[in-house]
Amino acid sequence: MDAGFLLQLVINGLVIGVIYALIAMGLSLIFGVLEIVNFAHGEFYMLGAMAAWFLASQAGFGYWTTVAAVVIVALAIGVLLYEGLLGAVEGKGFERSILLTLGLSMILQNGAVYLFTTTPKMISNSLTYSQVVLGSFRMPTARIYALVVGLLAFTGLWLVLHRSKIGKAMRGVSQNRDAALMVGIDPRAVARVAVAVGVGLSGLAGAALAPVYAVHPLMGFAFVFKAFAIVIIGGLGNVSGAAIAALALGVIETLMGGFLPMVMVDAVAFMAMIAILLFRPMGLFGRGVRV
Amino acid sequence: MKLPSLLRTAAVIAATSSWLTVASAQGGPILIGATIPITGTVATFGQHSRWGAEQAIAEANAKGGVLGRKIEMEFQDNRCNPAEGVKSVTQMISQRKYVAIFDGLCSSVALAVMPVIERAGIPFVVANASATSIAEKSGVGGNVWTFKVNPTDASLLNALVDWLQKEGKAGNIAFLGEDTDFGRAGSSGLEAALKRHNLKLGSVDFYQKGAADFTAVLSKIKAQKPAMLALYSIDADFQNAMRQWHGLGGGVPLTGRVLVDQVPKEILASGLLDGTTAVQPYDPSVDTPENKAFVAEFRKRTGTMPIMVAFESYESTRILIDAIRRAGSTDPVAIRDALKQTRYQSIIGGTVEFDENNLAHNHAIILGIQNGKVVILGQSKT
Repeated sequence: MDAGFLLQLVINGLVIGVIYALIAMGLSLIFGVLEIVNFAHGEFYMLGAMAAWFLASQAGFGYWTTVAAVVIVALAIGVLLYEGLLGAVEGKGFERSILLTLGLSMILQNGAVYLFTTTPKMISNSLTYSQVVLGSFRMPTARIYALVVGLLAFTGLWLVLHRSKIGKAMRGVSQNRDAALMVGIDPRAVARVAVAVGVGLSGLAGAALAPVYAVHPLMGFAFVFKAFAIVIIGGLGNVSGAAIAALALGVIETLMGGFLPMVMVDAVAFMAMIAILLFRPMGLFGRGVRV
Repeated sequence: MKLPSLLRTAAVIAATSSWLTVASAQGGPILIGATIPITGTVATFGQHSRWGAEQAIAEANAKGGVLGRKIEMEFQDNRCNPAEGVKSVTQMISQRKYVAIFDGLCSSVALAVMPVIERAGIPFVVANASATSIAEKSGVGGNVWTFKVNPTDASLLNALVDWLQKEGKAGNIAFLGEDTDFGRAGSSGLEAALKRHNLKLGSVDFYQKGAADFTAVLSKIKAQKPAMLALYSIDADFQNAMRQWHGLGGGVPLTGRVLVDQVPKEILASGLLDGTTAVQPYDPSVDTPENKAFVAEFRKRTGTMPIMVAFESYESTRILIDAIRRAGSTDPVAIRDALKQTRYQSIIGGTVEFDENNLAHNHAIILGIQNGKVVILGQSKT
């Protein structure tokens, strides 16, 4: 077997895993702190990519400037999302939050269709078509950048959750909201930060991947259901679990895709999710916000 | 109110509303119902389909309409989903105000809608759906209300494989297509076309529509070293596949229904796709005065170049309008019979007539990429 072919598959799998992880970690974080499943999460990935396309193609921003600008806007949108919508349904029943986020997803998706049309958009700059070539191994530079951005985001989130007060507060609120309140932690402030970080990660994924994939209003839909499966596999609310499950899934899917029919590959995540729900409902790494 | 007077009132209301309906039907515009994907994964195609149909209607209305009345097409969204397609067509049929139903994508939708159309007895003009089974189920011995204007995948692929065989390139072709009736028809059509020359497909792969990443399957196909890769992919999927194929360094010429006019210009100019030989029902560069006029008007109206579905919808709408004119009435049977007698001069040069399967046979355009540019290699009767 050609080693270059295997290396190509593994590296591509890692890139895809990072993409899954950026979306799944935010989803998991929001669930861990607010116990809300955010069905609109994929749309923030799409909006991040749309914004990146606009900044890069229409306003002439460079890659890193675009990524930074999109993340700042996404964090702000996260705060607004919590204050305007999610805060109002927090703790008021699972079904209300599902209906609200599903409705929001439809509004954002159709709003994007209205504003940007359904025509797929491609960022075309010097980065888009440049490649790193090592023998038979080839990798577009934009994918390597996305991989670096993803790894930086992992590290940053790990540090926030592991080393900062707000990280401990998130764990505290996730474990026992009332007890956290009694020791002086403001659950609303913590939840606001969790939603901002969750949406920020999605926006970051969108911005980092806009030069890699075609940008269109339905692009979030393809990833969000897989992200749900990853969150369940990793353990609901377990951010590190989601990251590990995402990376593993990305690599497994790509390796399988190199040898098996592609339609079978798409079923892997959901088959694993069903198995986890049947035999280990707490997920591979257990529930709750953990690092 | 006593029962007899209640009945009298109901009868008066019914008579009045029925008179109003007839009055509206006789004096108002002639309405055509259309089911297209306005949203969803192939909405770009739906948009082009709509633009094409609207251009044909605008031209007809500018000349005074048909039977002394204006023509209007009302669009319903099917999201390229058979269930939504059936729902939209059932709704349109129940309203009893449309003289025909126009289909602007997708094959799965058209196939699901056909039985509904047959029960209702209303002409159904398929503009864009390409599955061969639509024609196989239509006409003599089948659904007499369905008329397919665009060529089937089978007829396009026969033309393509004949061309490739002539060039000595038809052996060891790998296939990659979306897992829909469109992609499946592409695979079976290509298989059948190759069989006519005692050849077989090298490998077959399908992907779920809307998939973003093709690197694994493209790496696999590249490692198999086929002579050509037949691609059945549209919209965002096609753009992602193209970009990722470029990222992998290409190395295998493409064939099948490659949307050569939608390949990013940077990839085209790189020469990576040189040697590609594709088949399409249309290309905007076809050199006829009628096509040039169509393209110019389309660009004026929409600000963009027409893609294949825009052309197909434009021609299908013109054919339907012509049939209504020749029928001399909006009676469904008269329109159906007039459609059957169609003899229409296509803007790309062919003459469109329906065969016993109510299938039209326009030209297939064989397209190639040479020195980073799209060229028309030839035309072939489908």
